[in-house]
Amino acid sequence: MTQLILFNVFNGLIVGAFYALMALGLSLILNLSGVINFAHGGFLAIGGYIAYVLIPYIGFWGALLVAPFLTAFIGLLVERVLIRRLYGRDPLYSLLLTFGLAYIIEDGTRFIWGAQSVPYQVPDWLMQPLSADYFFLTGYRVFMVLLVGVAVAALFLILTRTRLGLRIRAGTLDLETVSVLGVNVRLLRNLNFGLGIYLAGLAGVLAAGMLGLQPVIGFSLIMPSFVTIIVGGLGSLPGTLLGGLLIGVTSGVTTVFFPSASEAVIYILMGVVLLVRPRGLLGEEGRF
Amino acid sequence: MVRLDKPAAEAAPVNGRMPPLSTIRLDKRAADALVWLLLLTAPFWMQWIGGYTELGSRVLVMALAAMALNFLLGFTGVLSFGHAAYFGLGAYGCAMTIKYLVPSTPVGIVVGIIVGTAAAMIIGALIVKLRGVYFAMVTIAFGQVFYFITFRWNNVTGGDDGLTDWHRMPLDFGFAKLDILHNAEAFYYVILFCFAVSVGIMALLLRSPFGRTLLAIRENERRARFLGIPVDRHIWLSFVISGAFASVAGTLYALLNNFVDPRALFWGQSGNFVIMAVLGGMRSFWGPLVGAVIFVVLQDYVSSQTENWESFIGLFFVLVVLFFPRGVLGIIRRRTAP
Amino acid sequence: MSLLQVENVSKKFGDLVAVDGVSMTVEPGELRAVIGPNGAGKTTFFNLISGFLTPSSGRIVFDGEDVTKMLPARRVWRGMARTFQITEVFPELTARENLRIAVEVASGYRLKTWLSRDADGEVRARVTDLLEMGGLADEADRLVGELSHGDQRATEIMMALALKPRLLLLDEPTAGMGDQETYNITQLIRKLHHDKNQTIVLIEHDMRVVFHLADRIMVLAEGAMLAEGTADEIAKNEAVQAAYLGKAA
Repeated sequence: MTQLILFNVFNGLIVGAFYALMALGLSLILNLSGVINFAHGGFLAIGGYIAYVLIPYIGFWGALLVAPFLTAFIGLLVERVLIRRLYGRDPLYSLLLTFGLAYIIEDGTRFIWGAQSVPYQVPDWLMQPLSADYFFLTGYRVFMVLLVGVAVAALFLILTRTRLGLRIRAGTLDLETVSVLGVNVRLLRNLNFGLGIYLAGLAGVLAAGMLGLQPVIGFSLIMPSFVTIIVGGLGSLPGTLLGGLLIGVTSGVTTVFFPSASEAVIYILMGVVLLVRPRGLLGEEGRF
Repeated sequence: MVRLDKPAAEAAPVNGRMPPLSTIRLDKRAADALVWLLLLTAPFWMQWIGGYTELGSRVLVMALAAMALNFLLGFTGVLSFGHAAYFGLGAYGCAMTIKYLVPSTPVGIVVGIIVGTAAAMIIGALIVKLRGVYFAMVTIAFGQVFYFITFRWNNVTGGDDGLTDWHRMPLDFGFAKLDILHNAEAFYYVILFCFAVSVGIMALLLRSPFGRTLLAIRENERRARFLGIPVDRHIWLSFVISGAFASVAGTLYALLNNFVDPRALFWGQSGNFVIMAVLGGMRSFWGPLVGAVIFVVLQDYVSSQTENWESFIGLFFVLVVLFFPRGVLGIIRRRTAP
Repeated sequence: MSLLQVENVSKKFGDLVAVDGVSMTVEPGELRAVIGPNGAGKTTFFNLISGFLTPSSGRIVFDGEDVTKMLPARRVWRGMARTFQITEVFPELTARENLRIAVEVASGYRLKTWLSRDADGEVRARVTDLLEMGGLADEADRLVGELSHGDQRATEIMMALALKPRLLLLDEPTAGMGDQETYNITQLIRKLHHDKNQTIVLIEHDMRVVFHLADRIMVLAEGAMLAEGTADEIAKNEAVQAAYLGKAA
């Protein structure tokens, strides 16, 4: 029994770290530009599929390196052409637009690669369990956690040590002041969006190895990202990280006792958080 | 179009001559009469343009849902993206009642409405203090809870396959029976009746002082608050009313298809309602009806032509947002206003 | 009894002291002006009185009742109405509709008002009165968002008036207006004060308006009260002159 619980907690942490990665990208975009990117899951799927296409040529590690950048590039284009027009307007419109994009991406990937899972090549040695006792500790899962950790650390460094990061953080607090100080706000939003999409693409490359790659992967992962942000708190990146881990573990533990409720439980958690602390666990006062 | 007050002078003669036709605002009552006339006679003229009665029924059901949503979105200014929840709960409530409890259409409808409205009351209370994008996100998320419940609870709800082996029961009025199961026209008129009652109540509410305070909240929440309007309470009420009528639409949806599946609760469905309201014109009373007509007909046509109709729907969303944000009636209103 | 008693009220935002121990007493029927250089804390002071913000310390007593922590909407029901520095109206509704909402809210939520023809007529009559008083009769059926700045401000003042307030708070009513509009608004406020005996507290920068209208003036500088008295007293006050010359008004 303990092994079962341990397995699910660990699995929950991994899945949680993963939700956090995705939600961080979503959060970055939301905080700076006020846009709910409903297509975030779609970009995740794009990341996975680009990797799938590249792996035969440059191997898994090459794809891991390249695919997120390509995905981010697509994100930059989308922001430039479509989303940029909607900034002054009611948030309704950007939500509808990204909604539509999510549909297009899902249908598009289905059209190109079919509705079934495609064989996604992860290096064999990664898939081996690390120890006979803890069979659930496959190399891949450990690797995922490590990579998410690295990504989060890198994000943290970017946000605190680089000029871009500083501007993003300042812009999140007060975009108008930042623009008055001479920062090119358009470019800032564009790059910020790209950064968020990079994380989505990275999440996609990783997710494909763990969950299998099929068109609906985007749709199925977008909602937990939303819940992560709501639980962790709007406007707070550490909150998003915490939220992701929390819902991952909650879901994991629930699987042991009430397997059929493992998806719904994260929404119950969300309901409880909203009741007790409407702005989320680490959310900022007066953000929305 | 909801006008609060008659203007002091409406299309009065200027210098003895009537102003040109294009500058006369369509008298609201004439527009209403036209709409009802078209709806009442639909089964007759639909055949001439290649339609069929069931399509008309479907348009009405979706229009009701979109108009219910618009009560909240267009008239109170609250961005709810999770209305499929109340729609779907109405549908399941009705279907499950007929299948498991009482094989009666009216009872099914009533239970469906109760279930959907209760959910709206509870969820509304939880989220009433939130605003803007945050509110929207939470409504989407809550919509999904119910999706998962219906998906997982398959021995009761039929899970992903949906709830089958039931159908709408004929209506027994004592002195006469109405076979709404086999007679598509008869059922169309039943739906139209429910539609009319619902729409009538919504119009009455919007035209009342209560409705005007909702407009006030939409226009300027701070000013509304500083006039002494209890804003949160009003938003909750608007949310509940909106959810209630969405659940009415849901019950009719289930009855129309003699089937209901989790897709009725999926966030995609919520998005469809919003796009119908936006496409037709959020600020007009009949806007969502116009939007529903266009959307349902288009979806019907495209899905019969290609497997990739989802891409078209997605593209449709994008185009409406970029080029028709004020909607069809919004554009017309601007052209004819003096 | 005084209508409004503000007792030693302060507001801190972290280390920043926006309002520092200010007291004020307003008698019924008075027109009090609050003036001071930019950044003196005048609007914050108003926000405390009207309930937009809660004081860090001090008390606010309105008509004998402690309203220090009361929510804004409830203060409105107690008889306080305010306008804002940036005009807050309902832009996509007409002036008539704006006022109608205010009048209806003020008359409460009785079913009778909704259903009865007479009540409806009363509402319409009152709206027409307010429109005329505010000089808005000609613009009544145009969208408020399209009206001139002065007319928008007049609409806002009339909406506040529709609530039949015992205390009217006006935050820079002539801000951003040219001479003609300033004159119109000043006349309107004067009419309210003299003809209707409305108790008014207003924040103003335009000294002509202040000296034309005010019974008493309070001067704020850097969050604290610098001086208080009649127009003559304030005009002669050296500290006030220094505050204004030291920082451009």
